[in-house]
Amino acid sequence: MIEQRAVTTEPGTQRALLSVRDLKVAFPSEAGRVDAVRGVSFDLHRGKTLGIVGESGSGKSVTSMAVMGLLPEYASVTGEILLDGKNLLDLDDRRMSKVRGQQIGMIFQDPLSSLTPIFSIGAQIVESLQIHQDISSAAAWKRAVELLDLVGIPNPDRRAKGFPHEFSGGMRQRAVIAMAIANDPDLIIADEPTTALDVTVQAQILEVLKTAQRETGAAVIMITHDLGVVAGSADDVMVMYAGRPVEHAGVDELFAQPRMPYTIGLMGAIPRLDDRDRDALTPVPGTPPLLVDLPDACPFAARCPAVEDACRAAEPPLLTIGGAGTGAAHSAACRRAEEIEDGAIAGKPIFPVPAAREDRVADVPREERPKVLELSGVTKTFPLTKGGLLKRKVGTVFAVNGIDLDIREGETLGLVGESGCGKTTTLLEIMGLKPPEQGSIAVCGQDTAGLKRKQDIRAVRRDMQMVFQDPMGALDPRMTVFDILAEPLRAAGERDKKVLGTKVAELMELVGLDPEHRDRFPSAFSGGQRQRIGIARALSTKPRLLVLDEPVSALDVSVQAGVINLLNDLKAELGLSYLFVAHDLSVVCHISDRVAVMYLGRIVEIGDTDAVFDNPRHPYTQALLSAIPLPDPVAERTRERVLLAGDLPSPTDETPGCRFVSRCPLHTTLSDPQKERCRGVTPLLTDRGDPDHRDACHFAGTTTSVDN
Amino acid sequence: MLRYIARKAVGWFLMIAVATNLTYFLANAFLKPASNYTALRPPRTPAQINRSLAQFNLNPDKPILDRWWDWISGIVTHFDWGQSPTGGSVNEQVAYRIFVSGQLVIASTILSIVIGVGVGVYTASRQYKAGDRVWQGISVISFNTPSAVASLGVVLAAIWLNQSVGDTLLPVAGAQSPEVSGFWPVLGSRVMHAILPTISLTFISYAGYHLLQRSLLLDNINSDYVRTARSKGLTRQQAIYRHGLRTSIIPVATQVAFAMPALFTGAVITETVFAWHGMGEYFTKTISTNDVHGAVAVAAFGALMTAIGAILADLVVVALDPRIRVS
Repeated sequence: MIEQRAVTTEPGTQRALLSVRDLKVAFPSEAGRVDAVRGVSFDLHRGKTLGIVGESGSGKSVTSMAVMGLLPEYASVTGEILLDGKNLLDLDDRRMSKVRGQQIGMIFQDPLSSLTPIFSIGAQIVESLQIHQDISSAAAWKRAVELLDLVGIPNPDRRAKGFPHEFSGGMRQRAVIAMAIANDPDLIIADEPTTALDVTVQAQILEVLKTAQRETGAAVIMITHDLGVVAGSADDVMVMYAGRPVEHAGVDELFAQPRMPYTIGLMGAIPRLDDRDRDALTPVPGTPPLLVDLPDACPFAARCPAVEDACRAAEPPLLTIGGAGTGAAHSAACRRAEEIEDGAIAGKPIFPVPAAREDRVADVPREERPKVLELSGVTKTFPLTKGGLLKRKVGTVFAVNGIDLDIREGETLGLVGESGCGKTTTLLEIMGLKPPEQGSIAVCGQDTAGLKRKQDIRAVRRDMQMVFQDPMGALDPRMTVFDILAEPLRAAGERDKKVLGTKVAELMELVGLDPEHRDRFPSAFSGGQRQRIGIARALSTKPRLLVLDEPVSALDVSVQAGVINLLNDLKAELGLSYLFVAHDLSVVCHISDRVAVMYLGRIVEIGDTDAVFDNPRHPYTQALLSAIPLPDPVAERTRERVLLAGDLPSPTDETPGCRFVSRCPLHTTLSDPQKERCRGVTPLLTDRGDPDHRDACHFAGTTTSVDN
Repeated sequence: MLRYIARKAVGWFLMIAVATNLTYFLANAFLKPASNYTALRPPRTPAQINRSLAQFNLNPDKPILDRWWDWISGIVTHFDWGQSPTGGSVNEQVAYRIFVSGQLVIASTILSIVIGVGVGVYTASRQYKAGDRVWQGISVISFNTPSAVASLGVVLAAIWLNQSVGDTLLPVAGAQSPEVSGFWPVLGSRVMHAILPTISLTFISYAGYHLLQRSLLLDNINSDYVRTARSKGLTRQQAIYRHGLRTSIIPVATQVAFAMPALFTGAVITETVFAWHGMGEYFTKTISTNDVHGAVAVAAFGALMTAIGAILADLVVVALDPRIRVS
């Protein structure tokens, strides 16, 4: 970050590397002409990073594809994209291909699908080199290995011969970065480069991107919906809404003094790791407009609490509003931008913080509340088999390996960990209501081993319901909302149409949906509303425990805030307990009372949210916390990261010893006999004075806690 | 790799053995070789007929297991597949007809793959444009043309051509002119005779490859990795050819390998129209003449071709797709 500024030329003294002027992109569609991008202009200088932020459908990716010339032929693109003074929109595919890869390198969102499966990683990098340079295959291969080394792939010699399916997501993204910087480009476009990755891997990839930028001196366009990523890596930030930039400023200026209500709304909607008050988040109501036949009005007017009649009369242009400091001049597309100060107009916040409801069980001490879920020593293994017809067992995957946890009434337990650590398997074991391979599961005091009769199982099932990750996939598209919500009631034996009607209406009101919409199909609702339907469906049996599997990870930030608030309100109102599985620690921090951190099928740290997040004891928890980007550029710059090396190993054998040893930053600082203990003795969950906060590390006491 | 092929080959060999023996018993149960003698004048007594059949190990009075033992011993010891009810050697017939069928189908198979895949790639990269639509139309017509119609159409066109030239430019019947001799003249004659059936077979079979290749490639053209390839600096066409085609050709290759056995025995109508004596014709003839041993040999040949096709398909997939491991 700091080093990269050294190669920067002062803006203004030299022509901008990339200069986009009034870029407009439209696609034909059945509903009419979709104006995906409606007038984007910006300048980008060498060595600088421009962050483009916006929710899905805001036109940020389309903008980058227009710069790359990769839009489909039927898209109509107008305006100017000047790269070193050359208008890229004048070039045909053949001439544009000389620019792509040579002057502009691109990194895509999904590393799993962006590499050709049938060519080796090395061959794909060699191809990048040989398209633009006249070098021998041997020299290109050597260079490819160097590039892989640069992006931090261990044993690059050997790994270059590997195929994409042999690489993990993070490793593939490194390979994609190696391809993008192979020809020393002037501009690197990163389109949501870390969205598909785990948070620890995200931190690694962002670090690699910084290295790549330093090595090439390139300008970077960083497209993301994560304000934390932008805060840590961008110099300038452009916020897009409905196909247009609505605010553009230097990163410090933008985060300190946002002037456009939408930006303010976005910032208020993110749960923050460094904010422990757990006030309700401020959701932005409504949904973005469809980009078909937009009227000449501020597109945000319908969702803006500071709207005035004049906002609907004409679309406000992006105007400079003073704003000195580093980076670009501050400009915003809001009529009232000058009035907005600190997210407030005349001292009144634009987005008022909704009042949180009183928690009725909070007064009862935890020990006195009944346990709604108790897991002790739960283990789930999968056999590894070999051979086609006659399968032989060659090993065992310990997906979940001896988990103990309990949830008491009115409490939320957040279960966090990287993908592959066994979170989902744990959920499935609980939802299966069968006795586990080892250990026991008790739901509302009922041991699952004692559930033999069908009606017993059904009774317990009613007490525990699940909310799924993908609100689109979890609802039957051919059932109306009424049918979806009435189905569990009917299954419970309710036949009376009138009773069903009132109950469904109550449920819809409870989750903030209009009961008038009961005859609509799921496709008529937005993502956030669909997740509300999913929650209402889960609530219809009046459960005591909700199991939530990544309930907000598929939602945009502004919508996510509303769903999180809803969950908090429901918990306070109905005294529900939640088992909340998520990979986003900021969300978990915001919603949970207690947190359990999982690593390779084991819980490595568990305790009260504040205790775990303020004073993480296990080195893995420390690394997880420090990997989360904060939406605060100043804090991001001064922060020290614990970067984990490598990926999650696979939990195939059960040799004794700590499973985190291969990646543990603490392990390397220990003396030899101590290291021996890590490798030889499996650490158990132990408390250190506080019986509620336990960790599974032999030497957790010897660490200094890392500030985040 | 070699071990893998060897293991597969053994498995398929067992499969062929089982299929062939099963066919032997079925054929003996359903086919009545005696019917070849009942229409003869002067009429023969059943005893006479059985005596004649007994020379060829077809006597229905002999227990089926004994007949089977004689038959299978002949195959295992001398690779002798027996005789037809009238005494023709099955081995001779099959050896000759495989050669004729090969002459008929090999060129057309290669041509239909090359044309079909080529057109598929061409049309996929021009989806919904004029070229795509025209080829789509042609292929739908050819796909739905019965082979008799295609063959007769080709014959009519050739006769018209021959008449307008006034000479036999393209022979419309037979696999070879009877009067030629010597290596080069025979080869030339065979090539000339193969032209028309090849055209007709290619016409009816290329469309399958076209439509398959087109839809497979379209799945890949908009994939992320083709986009990545373009972002590296390949033009759209280059990216499609280098990255899209290689992945989408794998299922086509599998289909080709499995189509091989059907080709050899399935070109019955074309063989009939062009008066070729190939395996397809033998297939129908052995059944209609109650030729037990011939029918079993055709079944064994079909099983063998399927086995070769399946092993070929495996090899092709392994060669094209590094994700597949042989073990």
